[in-house]
Amino acid sequence: MKNALWENIFRGISKELSKEVLTLKKVPVFEGLEPKELSEIEKLIHHRTYKPDEVVFRRNAPGEGMYIILRGKVDILTESGEGTSSVVASLKEGDFFGDLSLLDKEPRSATALAKDHTTLLGFFRPDLTALLKRKPQLGVKILMNLASVIGERLRKTNDLLSQMQSKNISATDT
Amino acid sequence: MLLGIGFLYLIWQYISDIILLIVFAFLFTTILLPAVDWLEGKLRSRGLAVLVTVLSLIAGFVIFLSSFGMQLSNEAMVTYHKFEKEELITVIDNLRSNFTGILPEFAKEILESSSDATSSADKISGYVKTVLGSLSQLTSAIGSFLFFATMILIFTIIILYEYHNFKRSLVSFIPNKYFELGLRLIRNIEKQVSSYLHGQLLAASSVAILSIFGLWLLNVFMDANLSLIIFIGIIAGLANLIPLIGPFVGMVPAVLVAVMNNIDTGAVSHYLFNVTPIPSPFFIFDIIFVFLIVQQIDNNLVTPKLIGQSVGIHPILVIIALLIGANLMGAIGMLMAVPAAGTIKAVSKEIMWAVRNTHLL
Repeated sequence: MKNALWENIFRGISKELSKEVLTLKKVPVFEGLEPKELSEIEKLIHHRTYKPDEVVFRRNAPGEGMYIILRGKVDILTESGEGTSSVVASLKEGDFFGDLSLLDKEPRSATALAKDHTTLLGFFRPDLTALLKRKPQLGVKILMNLASVIGERLRKTNDLLSQMQSKNISATDT
Repeated sequence: MLLGIGFLYLIWQYISDIILLIVFAFLFTTILLPAVDWLEGKLRSRGLAVLVTVLSLIAGFVIFLSSFGMQLSNEAMVTYHKFEKEELITVIDNLRSNFTGILPEFAKEILESSSDATSSADKISGYVKTVLGSLSQLTSAIGSFLFFATMILIFTIIILYEYHNFKRSLVSFIPNKYFELGLRLIRNIEKQVSSYLHGQLLAASSVAILSIFGLWLLNVFMDANLSLIIFIGIIAGLANLIPLIGPFVGMVPAVLVAVMNNIDTGAVSHYLFNVTPIPSPFFIFDIIFVFLIVQQIDNNLVTPKLIGQSVGIHPILVIIALLIGANLMGAIGMLMAVPAAGTIKAVSKEIMWAVRNTHLL
């Protein structure tokens, strides 16, 4: 039989990780962090819940940080000049978006829309800045991970660009 | 909405002290937070970081007050012994005749017409009675001040320790639609208030250092016989935190000490910097002159560099804010008027930004 008292006493040293920590562990930005460090991040993240078709953020709105999908689905939309919008990405549980806003203060470049009853974990620039002061080693680990995520994305973009350029060249040759 | 305002008006007298206490605790937290965050990085414990910061602050405050108190009581004892002597009345009468001797004719007439038949000794005994009568009031005032200070300290410790958690709980109430805008707003207000307070503290330190230097020059080159100049400088720096009237309040201790130290000397017949033909009894005008120079350096060189664009409110609006602050809460209101105006400005700027750049409002 379970005893509430003992459960509460040993809750702090339980080896079991929460769903939030397990989700964070899979996000490349938090890759390689110790469970203790992940628990530290868990204290900084914001839980936000959204109804179906509720806007997470709009294009041109201030971008303050990144979101990780704990439950539900999110669509990323870009708006064309005539007021129509098209879905550029459909994200599911464990995916993340808006990570560039952790580094710069530019407004959002696309709109994010919840497609289901969705729970997001928000990790924001002011918290990262405070973390860099309070726990610099952990802050640097996150920054290095962010740099490698962005570097990988840049490499992929470069590959795509050179593929397209070579396609264009071969098309003009024929 | 109206019901809420009405309710607030009804309970305001019961909660105004608590609100003031929380506001003060937040101001101290804003000043100490960078130190606590930095120390937490070094000590790897927030509790320890808060403890070290708060204990250092208390230690500094106690050392300042105790050494100032001891020196001031020594000064007071010396002056008291001067008063004890039989020649007290002669000293005061001599001072009066010396002082009136150097005044122009019209000023002498005004002084003579305003003086009544009461002797100086009677006046002093009257003052002593009044002071004794006020002692009980003073004791209760000190008691309530100590209680208030302790409560502010406790609130500051709690807010410093839980600051990031408090902020997280606070932002959880922001609706999804305005969430990131709210985060941006909180960040900008924090930045504005923090840079204003740190700028003010640096400006106060510069006023303190310049005042100490100026008074030291008076001592060295003019034999002004001023003691406690370090404490007078620090008080002038702290008084400078209150805009407009602060600089004048800062001069008062210096003038008092000058009178206390020079009451039985010939300083009453002294002329401004021994050159300008203005009589400067007890070096009072010299001291005022030094403080005016310090103010000019502070207003034209130091403050614009340190505070710069941190608040950036038009001087007219600063005066209006100060008047409103003084009306609402007296000297404390004046102290908080400019950061409050800065916060209102930051909020309005953010709302304008949101209206122009987003479709949220």
